Amino acid sequence: MNKKSMWSFSFSTPVLVLIPVAVGINYVGKLFAQVLRLPLWLDSIGTVIASMLSGPIVGAISGAINNIIYGLTMDPISFVYALTSAAIGLTVGIMAYRGRINNLWRAVVVGLVVALVAAVVSTPLNVIFWGGQTGNVWGDALYAYLIAHGVPVWLSSFLDELVVDLPDKVATVIIAFLIFVSLPKRLVQMYEGEEALEKLD
Amino acid sequence: MKAVVVENLKYRYPSTERLALDSVSFEVEQGEFIGIIGKNLAGKSTLCEALVGLVPHFYKGAYGGRVVVDGVEVLSSDVSELARHIGIVFQNPFTQVTAAKLTVYEEVAFGLENFGFERSEMVDRIDYVLKLLGLYEYKDRNPFELSGGQMQRLAIASIIAMKPSIIVLDEPTSQLDPLGSEEVFKAVQSLSKEGITIIMVEQKMEKIAQYADKVMLMNEGRVIDFGAPEKVFSRSDLETYGVEPPVFTSIAKRLNIKDNDTGLYPVTLEQMRRLMISEPHRS
Amino acid sequence: MARALSLYVEADTFVQKLDPMVKLLYILIAILIPFVILPFRWVGAVFILLSCVLLLYAKVFPRVLPLLGFSFLILISIVIIQGLFMPGNKTPAVEIFGLTFYKEGLLYALTLCIRVLDVLLAFALLVLTTRPSDLIQSLVKRGLSPRFGYVLSSALQVIPQMMSQVDSIMDAQRSRGLETEGSLWVRLKAFIPLIGPVVMSSLLETRERAMALEVRGFSASGKKTFLYEREPLVLDKILQWALIASLVISLVARFTVL
Repeated sequence: MNKKSMWSFSFSTPVLVLIPVAVGINYVGKLFAQVLRLPLWLDSIGTVIASMLSGPIVGAISGAINNIIYGLTMDPISFVYALTSAAIGLTVGIMAYRGRINNLWRAVVVGLVVALVAAVVSTPLNVIFWGGQTGNVWGDALYAYLIAHGVPVWLSSFLDELVVDLPDKVATVIIAFLIFVSLPKRLVQMYEGEEALEKLD
Repeated sequence: MKAVVVENLKYRYPSTERLALDSVSFEVEQGEFIGIIGKNLAGKSTLCEALVGLVPHFYKGAYGGRVVVDGVEVLSSDVSELARHIGIVFQNPFTQVTAAKLTVYEEVAFGLENFGFERSEMVDRIDYVLKLLGLYEYKDRNPFELSGGQMQRLAIASIIAMKPSIIVLDEPTSQLDPLGSEEVFKAVQSLSKEGITIIMVEQKMEKIAQYADKVMLMNEGRVIDFGAPEKVFSRSDLETYGVEPPVFTSIAKRLNIKDNDTGLYPVTLEQMRRLMISEPHRS
Repeated sequence: MARALSLYVEADTFVQKLDPMVKLLYILIAILIPFVILPFRWVGAVFILLSCVLLLYAKVFPRVLPLLGFSFLILISIVIIQGLFMPGNKTPAVEIFGLTFYKEGLLYALTLCIRVLDVLLAFALLVLTTRPSDLIQSLVKRGLSPRFGYVLSSALQVIPQMMSQVDSIMDAQRSRGLETEGSLWVRLKAFIPLIGPVVMSSLLETRERAMALEVRGFSASGKKTFLYEREPLVLDKILQWALIASLVISLVARFTVL
């Protein structure tokens, strides 16, 4: 079976139905993390699943739409971080395409890379909007310590974001992976394959 | 013109071995009410999907033979084009709402907007179908706030608004409570009275016996029998195909109440009573 | 049951009736001018004032406060951290509890607060006075693909639909003996059984919903129409040109006066 090109911009109807569900999964993940009082956000599980199912473009769009909707309905500042969410989707999609995420170890590696990418993209936004802070207590405590000891703002801000993102993104990719492997084969096929019609006579 | 012509249809889903449909051939006249019966995986849903073009256009896979619906060849057309000729209602009412419209009224408009109808035409059609299906009073509700039976009627209304001459219903009541099921059967009956050709897969044999002009019995992707309900339900080998006849037929079989001219058993209470009055049975 | 997500507040003023695209243009300008073209604190303050006046006029001002709540805590911590620790801090300004706040850090914090408030209020003007469905429809009319319009509208409906299942899943899993209280590890382990069912069922449903959309002409070629059409206002055009004029004037000011 031939896989579609990774950068295909043609969106089948199943893919268009998948994106809102991916965003819904992000929301539900965030809600359960709050209800369970977990020290993680877990608000990009849907984006990661969408990337695993349909590639980097669909993942990036799911991520961006997630923040657009959040911005429209909860917190307008969220619009700005659409860039970070899109980068997460892009990263997972590319990595899933290059080498299948087929075991837990690979999922952890992808999680680490995603955390790094998220921190790189978020840092300039954090500096522009919040002078480099993230709004997370632990990260900001580290940030205050670092700039008080003469570490440059950019590096302090990057580390602030990274300590928050590392555990969160690794956990996110592991959870998404566990869900992905338990999906029925026929559903996965609908999203990844571009089948040709065969003649029978 | 026939409503449906199927000639030697064969179909296999992608990445599977078994034929889901195997050498299926039959014809349906305009305005007929067809009931399709058979056990799980007999190919009933696949046949429904083949009539509206989802097989093969949505699934791909391997396809052979010919399906012509309302004069349109399915293979050389597409699902959207076919939607003007034939509509389909699925089992789960919940998945059939677009999930993008805020009111019942707008939900029905979805298909009409896609086909580019003028606003005045849309309003006429929406008003008509909502009244036909008894949903007019809910027109400003959010579709997700309807009961299962109401949601399923909304699915039917949304299909009927596009004025297909044929409607396929794939076990439309299997996920509904008795009240909701009854609502849907009444709705289907009123469509039939409007002259729309109905093709319905259904597990409730009493309903099939009551409404259907003809019954199709399927097994392992093949059509085993296709004819009058009395003929199909009188078969002695029904159980081997996982089908229980309607309760009146079972009783009649046990009491040996049958039509002496045709040798067939009755399928409804009405038929049974007529037979018992006209000729005293011999048991 | 859940309704679609929206912050829209029903009220009968011109702000609500305005073309959503004009409000989008306002956001663009409220970011471009004070951030890029004329990066001075007073310019940002002018936009904050303007947004406040419009929000008051549109009778939605009380609804702004909960929106600010999200950012408020971070803003306070910014004042503290920058005021105390910013690398360029030289001139002591005030002393509280024995901690010295510096002028440079406090001014930088003020700049950040103005930026955040400016962006927040400009977006608040859009989201509090515009139905999401109207915004999406006007984007589609301006050339956004209707298939993409579907994705946005659907997200607004699907999210509350899925969130509304959270409570019943919690109850169901707890009654089967799932522990959701206790140590971090216990709570972490509870996450998968909780999120699993809703994620699985909603992913499985995508196949049938996609088919249901297809048979209702979702992929039909040809022009689509809209059930509801918005009447364009004369004011739309006037404000649109006024906004573009303000952009041009600020550009001219940037390269001549300064």
